[in-house]
Amino acid sequence: MRKLILLLLGIVMLSGQLIAQSRSVTGKITDANGNPIVNASILVKGSNAGTTTADDGSFTLNLPPNARTLVFSAVGTQTQELNIGNRGVFNVQLASDDKDLQEVVVVGYGNAMKRKEVTGNIATVKGDAVANRPSQSFEQSLGGRAPGVQITIPSGVLNAPPVFRVRGTNSISLSSQPLIVIDGIPMYSGDASSTSAAGNALASINPNDIESIDIAKDAASTAIYGSRAANGVVFVTTKKGKSGRPRVNLDSWVGWNKVQRLPKLLDAFQYTDYKNQALTNSGLFSATNQFALTEGPDGQPINTNWYDYVYRNGFSHNNALSMSGGNEATKYYTSIAYTSQEGIIKRNDFKRVSALMSVDHKVNKAISVGTKLQYSNEKNLSAVSSGSLGDAFATAGLGRVPMITAPNISPYNNDGSYNYSGALIGVMNNKLGQVGFNNPVIQLDQNRGNAEINRILANAYLQIKPIRSLTFRSQYNVDYLYVDNEIYYSPISGEGFASGGSATSIYGQNKRWVWSNTLQYDEKLGEHSFGALIGTEQQKSNNKSYGLNQIGATDPDFTNIQGGWRTPTASGLGIGENYLLSYFGRLTYDFGKKYFISGNMRRDGASQLGINNKWGTFWGVSAGWEINREGFFQDAGLDKIFSSLRLRGSYGKVGNIDGLGQYASLSTFGSGLYGGNGTFVFNQAGNPNLGWETSAKTDIGLNFGILDDRISGEVTYYKNNVDGLILYVPSPPSAGLPTTIPTNIGSMYNRGVEIALNLVPIQKKDFSWNANFNITFNKNEVTALAPGVDNIITATGGLESPSITVVGKPLGMLFVTRTNGVDPETGRRIFINKNGDEVYYQHVAPTGRFRYEYADGTVAPTVSSADAEVYKNTNPKYYGGFDNTFRFKNFSLNALFTFQGGNYTYWGSYAGLRDQRFWNNSTDVLRAWTKSGDQTDMPKSYFGDNVSNGSSFPLDVNVFKGDFIKLRTLTLAYSLPGTVTSKAKINSFRFYVTGNNLWIGTKYPGPDPEVSSNGTGNTNQGIDRNTVGNARGVIVGINVGF
Amino acid sequence: MKTRIVLLAIAAGAIQLAGCKKDDLEPVPTNVVADVSAFDSESRILGQVNGLYATIKNAGLYGGRYQIFNDIRGGDFQNDRTNVVTGFDVWNYTPGNSSGNSVQAVWSRAYYAINLANVFLAGMDAKGAAVVGDEKANQFRGEARFVRAMCYYAMLQLYARPYWDGSGSKPGLPLRLTANTGPSDYNLARATVAEVYTQILEDLNFAEANLPANYATNALNTTRAHTNTAIAIKARVYLSMGRYPDVITEANKIVPASAPFTASTGVAHALQASVATIYTNYSTTESILSMPFSDVETPGTQNQLGYYYGSSAMNGGNGEYSLLSTGIIANTDWAETDARRAFIVTSGTKKYLNKYPKSAPFTDWAPVIRYPEVLLSLAEAITRSSNTVDDRAVALLNAVRQRSDASAGFTSGDFASADELAAAIMTERRIEFLGEGLAGADLTRLGLPLPAKPGITAVAATQQEYIWPISSTELLLNELCVDN
Repeated sequence: MRKLILLLLGIVMLSGQLIAQSRSVTGKITDANGNPIVNASILVKGSNAGTTTADDGSFTLNLPPNARTLVFSAVGTQTQELNIGNRGVFNVQLASDDKDLQEVVVVGYGNAMKRKEVTGNIATVKGDAVANRPSQSFEQSLGGRAPGVQITIPSGVLNAPPVFRVRGTNSISLSSQPLIVIDGIPMYSGDASSTSAAGNALASINPNDIESIDIAKDAASTAIYGSRAANGVVFVTTKKGKSGRPRVNLDSWVGWNKVQRLPKLLDAFQYTDYKNQALTNSGLFSATNQFALTEGPDGQPINTNWYDYVYRNGFSHNNALSMSGGNEATKYYTSIAYTSQEGIIKRNDFKRVSALMSVDHKVNKAISVGTKLQYSNEKNLSAVSSGSLGDAFATAGLGRVPMITAPNISPYNNDGSYNYSGALIGVMNNKLGQVGFNNPVIQLDQNRGNAEINRILANAYLQIKPIRSLTFRSQYNVDYLYVDNEIYYSPISGEGFASGGSATSIYGQNKRWVWSNTLQYDEKLGEHSFGALIGTEQQKSNNKSYGLNQIGATDPDFTNIQGGWRTPTASGLGIGENYLLSYFGRLTYDFGKKYFISGNMRRDGASQLGINNKWGTFWGVSAGWEINREGFFQDAGLDKIFSSLRLRGSYGKVGNIDGLGQYASLSTFGSGLYGGNGTFVFNQAGNPNLGWETSAKTDIGLNFGILDDRISGEVTYYKNNVDGLILYVPSPPSAGLPTTIPTNIGSMYNRGVEIALNLVPIQKKDFSWNANFNITFNKNEVTALAPGVDNIITATGGLESPSITVVGKPLGMLFVTRTNGVDPETGRRIFINKNGDEVYYQHVAPTGRFRYEYADGTVAPTVSSADAEVYKNTNPKYYGGFDNTFRFKNFSLNALFTFQGGNYTYWGSYAGLRDQRFWNNSTDVLRAWTKSGDQTDMPKSYFGDNVSNGSSFPLDVNVFKGDFIKLRTLTLAYSLPGTVTSKAKINSFRFYVTGNNLWIGTKYPGPDPEVSSNGTGNTNQGIDRNTVGNARGVIVGINVGF
Repeated sequence: MKTRIVLLAIAAGAIQLAGCKKDDLEPVPTNVVADVSAFDSESRILGQVNGLYATIKNAGLYGGRYQIFNDIRGGDFQNDRTNVVTGFDVWNYTPGNSSGNSVQAVWSRAYYAINLANVFLAGMDAKGAAVVGDEKANQFRGEARFVRAMCYYAMLQLYARPYWDGSGSKPGLPLRLTANTGPSDYNLARATVAEVYTQILEDLNFAEANLPANYATNALNTTRAHTNTAIAIKARVYLSMGRYPDVITEANKIVPASAPFTASTGVAHALQASVATIYTNYSTTESILSMPFSDVETPGTQNQLGYYYGSSAMNGGNGEYSLLSTGIIANTDWAETDARRAFIVTSGTKKYLNKYPKSAPFTDWAPVIRYPEVLLSLAEAITRSSNTVDDRAVALLNAVRQRSDASAGFTSGDFASADELAAAIMTERRIEFLGEGLAGADLTRLGLPLPAKPGITAVAATQQEYIWPISSTELLLNELCVDN
């Protein structure tokens, strides 16, 4: 009997198996809205059997024997498990997942991590935020988007590298800009141009290709980049293909821009009268020494608005087409784009062609490969110097020329020919030797300064996962930057006159490769999850440049070096290399997603460092506590109030070597000639102990979310202690050293608080309002310089020095001579000298009197920059952004405000606008003192006086508060509803209008309080000397998804 | 299968690690030479020797500015440009510690060359002597010590009290004799004037003993030091110290007992028949040492002798200094028939010195020392030490004088006393070396006041302004150095 039952059971089981073997199930997977999900996954739990859904969301799956449960999941959805039982059809609707779990963050090497599990401090900006903007490079659009990140667009010149500061300025002699890593390679950054056109190397990235930008700020998140991490690390990830139907996107915009807030100048009539009065006041007015109007070709007196000749309304456009798609195994993304942008200065243009192709392919379960090729050609074009790229006092600088050239002359003679006399603009009827510098119209018509950049960023990787928990990845990246610089000065232009014309071509080549190999192990045992990563990386960079300068054209039609010239000279010669070898590792551990701890370490050997100090070890540790998951928290019901609450902190030491010369640590001998024979002369004193600058970073933060994350935010305290700052320490001249010696000796700190808030005040079906607010408070202070270096005085444009760095104060304080107004009795400027005495100045002193006098009329010593004092701070004490998005049905309105304050700016241009030489002036001079009793801030006009206004030496009257709030972008967009788009057989259509820089709220009288005449310099920020202000404009665009 | 993949991965990683180029951590620049290789070959060592001369020639030491600064401290030139960049404050006796183009520039340039010499000597001891052999090594060492001595001598005439003031016991210069290449404690007090002179003479004696007697070409004989160069400079040094018997000893090595005066050993220095020759043919035997220039080796902006002394109409120069109508050109002992009067030209309303007639880039060679200086120094030393009107002294004076004005010879009877003869010799020095950089030292070594000029009062030997102040950068960074 028992045998029979066993046999029957066996038959039943066998037949059961047989039935199971041949059973299959079908179904359809949809999302919360009822739309089919492509590539959703259906797995038989506990086995390898599974399949994915087709384009319409349907699937068919053959069930293996003993199949019990099916697991349904898709990207961005919650997973569902269902018993199979007897069901044959599974129509499953998957709910969308918690958005936090979706969000991943790039952490450098290894896989991206979920934001909730990252214990370091990383801010993320999505690619959408930097696309669809009239920008040349992505950082121009980062202002106000992330706490701790401060961007200053230095001027209105296209493609000038923005000042990019993460938690303050962190170096004095080296670079303070963060490391930019794109898809795994630290890319060349900075200005690659040697001409009057700016050539930011980061403009090679088409902003439409950016998926996300992750800005790592603390030691834990940056230590993985060790010796280059002290200024923060910015991870840029380009878009990759996603599986599913191929997506084609077209992003196009056209836009117009123009200059704003130019100072008001005297017209020809005011100028002639005012200057003649100044001549009279100086006793210099005569029949042969006076200003006079000139009759123009139309019979009217010439009255030139020089702004019209220099500035224009720029027209720009951009078209970007991308295609991406793929299936489970292969994913691709490809894009091409072309943009042509006109700046507000005539002839300042930017044109870029870019193409990107990336493919990721899973060969089998264990092996995947991928490659990316990114190419761009950028043309940075200009006619002549803008005076805004660190060359504030360039004679031809277009920032200054329209402000100071006499308005009673024209760039053309009445017969239409150019008005010039030698290298200077002709004086016409003015009876003076000079009433302007060069004729800008000749330069704008004939000269050029162009930098054409060809860029290749490419990589290829191999990834092997022999077992589920182990990943080996080898990736090889290259960054090649080729720049062709061309400069031409025509023989009748100001710069070209003395040499009879000049043409220069300089070719530069920069090539970098990076090869990294990593092994990552991730395992989860019950509540414990841990991960380990070890890796090694090599980076090699080679650069060389060479060029030719020709002067003395034999015919004015020769405008390039290949023409006919009298004198050739070698130009732009350079050659160098550097190498970085690294070993790094990371450990992460978490318990129950409640307690997190992680540590990063990197050991770098850098060729730029001294022979005794090539290697350094950098590390960071961080910990996080997800309070929300704590039992006691949930018991108290607090988790109903707080949808998330996380405390995290980190500490570590990272380094900075960015900007250190490749051979700075060496002592070298240079060559020359003596009597025709070769010489070798010891020309650089090195330091064999030269090492990196060290930054010890502390970071403590609290992330919270309440009302189901309707309100969420974070508050972070940070402190960066930087020491070993490289300073060029002088030795006594009798020691005979050829140069100052770079020494790790200075120190400073940045300390502050970052606050970020996200609010969703209204979330209804038809209307929603999203707000983001972030503010950072930062304090910078220099704590030590070097013996023999009590202060560092930094020049602007090589001609004035309004910046000083001293111990006990923030970097780059303003250094000016003090004044105390204008004497109402005599109209003289009152200076305050270093002894605190008031000294009155008159440019022309009557007999028996003196130029510099005390109040009682006795002679006083000359006042100069020797009487300057450390005056005001140029580092913003707070900065941030306020972003609001309103959605009503298919319309959206977004407004981004950026703001900063607590800093002062030196408006040096204002000194020029009140210079009493031939220079044209601001209309403010019309309130100059004329008679006893006049209360005014403008002294009596004496022709030739360049002392009372701040030209001869910087004065406090040209220092103003730099606080501002800007409406940086205002976008109104309309998305066509689904019904319309599906009739047109397209996926989506969005139409938008964006205004940029529409409004500035500030008391700063200059064109734009967001300015830097000295580019990204560390010790001379906050200076506005002859700089072209930022543009204001509008773009109109469409985003189409096919 | 899985193990194989893991092994493959590890192998790939190992290959990559092995492939990493540790050498690349120590890159060797290709356009300059790292210090460790600077003594690897004779051509590099010779290059360093040439570099020593190039350093005292460039950027305004012996290439022009040192001569000009000494000239304008005398009473023969008038400043027309009031530009401190071109010596206005040196001319009116008011340079300050921070005067960039005079006080600071000469100090740092001279000490840079001194350190180059010290680095060279240390490198030769460590490595170079083995490369070129002892004889050549000592020759090169001789040249390095010669250049070092020239630098210390130049600075002593400007920054220190003359030797006669307390027999050289006054503060001199920090005596740097070791190679400085990296960070270190560089505080060093000033040695006395006597100590510096001792070092100068030690260096010149070594040079005399080790320099070659001559070089292969005339140009090399004029631009690099040989035995007779060291002897001639020693005569100059002893004259500045007032050690007249030593001047005689040295000068006698290259000046025979009687005319025709020409050196009998080494380079056969002699006076040229026409004085004009030496300002066009720069490598005659009369020019013992000069600094060479050419279109590819220019003196550099505002360093050029022709730029300072030539007017715009003459050679496109800047006419910084015209000749004082009350200076040597007014001296009646300087006859109009003298060939050297040809160097005095009128341009506009002023008179200018035309010894350096080349136009831009003004590549006239800069004279450092000529044979007639040795002759006149010897004459002066004989006169002052014997306190008599010596025949040989008169003969030496005549040799220089009659070369330019055959009719103007002296006889012993023309001088009532040794003082008169000495005065005539001093006058001859002013005439012969006008614009060649001897005037200032000739005044201070005798304690004569710096002369009054239009708008400027004379400076007595006791006044602080008699010598230059110390460079402010030095005072700031060298705690042990005191100002004048």
